[in-house]
Amino acid sequence: MYGWFWRHLPGNVWVKLLVSVVLVLAVVYVLFQYVFPWAEPLLPFNDVTVDNQ
Amino acid sequence: MRLIVRTLSELCITVGALIVLFVAYVLFWTGVRADGAMNDQIDRLHRQWSTGSVPAAAATAPADPGAVPPPPAPYHYGEPFAIMYIPRLGSTWDKPVLEGTGRDVLAKGLGHYGGTARLGQVGNFAVAGHRRTYGDPLKDFPRLRPGDAVVLTDGTTWFTYRIDKGPYKTVPTDIGVIDPVPRKSGYARPGRYLTLTTCDPEWGHSHRLIVWGHLDSTQAVESGEPGALRR
Repeated sequence: MYGWFWRHLPGNVWVKLLVSVVLVLAVVYVLFQYVFPWAEPLLPFNDVTVDNQ
Repeated sequence: MRLIVRTLSELCITVGALIVLFVAYVLFWTGVRADGAMNDQIDRLHRQWSTGSVPAAAATAPADPGAVPPPPAPYHYGEPFAIMYIPRLGSTWDKPVLEGTGRDVLAKGLGHYGGTARLGQVGNFAVAGHRRTYGDPLKDFPRLRPGDAVVLTDGTTWFTYRIDKGPYKTVPTDIGVIDPVPRKSGYARPGRYLTLTTCDPEWGHSHRLIVWGHLDSTQAVESGEPGALRR
């Protein structure tokens, strides 16, 4: 999977490395900004009220 | 065959990394975001109060003495209106109190149950807060004891509540704990009460922890901090 990815990145090793780092950072950003805030309410830490509003 | 095994192991590593990231998000990042948001809310309140919008509203003397004073501004959902201090939780412990107990509100501070009494008024001023995650505002909730002070200010007045009972453990459906006169608190007649709620156990949601208090004293902001905050 990642090997296939690596082979399809353009440029020499350094360019590939740079592109991969940028891609990883982009994925982490999307996770922290959109995916985790959506998933977090499914955990129990938010239930602090007695009327469940 | 080798390709399948390799892809599978790569998937496992990816899922593992995802879980680690998610834990980091829940334990660490929500706290960073919430601390920033809470400080923003407190700064906003201080700015509001220093520009005099609240005191001015209170100070505008009615033109004719017989006029009824205008009712105080209603609380707006998601807007901060007070700062809470609980010396027992630390001398630097101060949190904004916002109107409403929605998830979005509790991410920015403590939430005042809509429909319960206003700060300092007859009835039950009920407030909820996170025990864990989002800055852990009420992490040390079980350390609260009867006699502890809970001090609030709305910019014009200091309100000092004293805890009478708690921490009391109950179930999430026990909405009677935020009644104007909560039955299990031991209060018998209407008064100016305070209820704080958070979750229990620390990382779970099967129960709630409650403390109750009554309004002990009030004083104008101009006359300085109440005794409970002085050290």
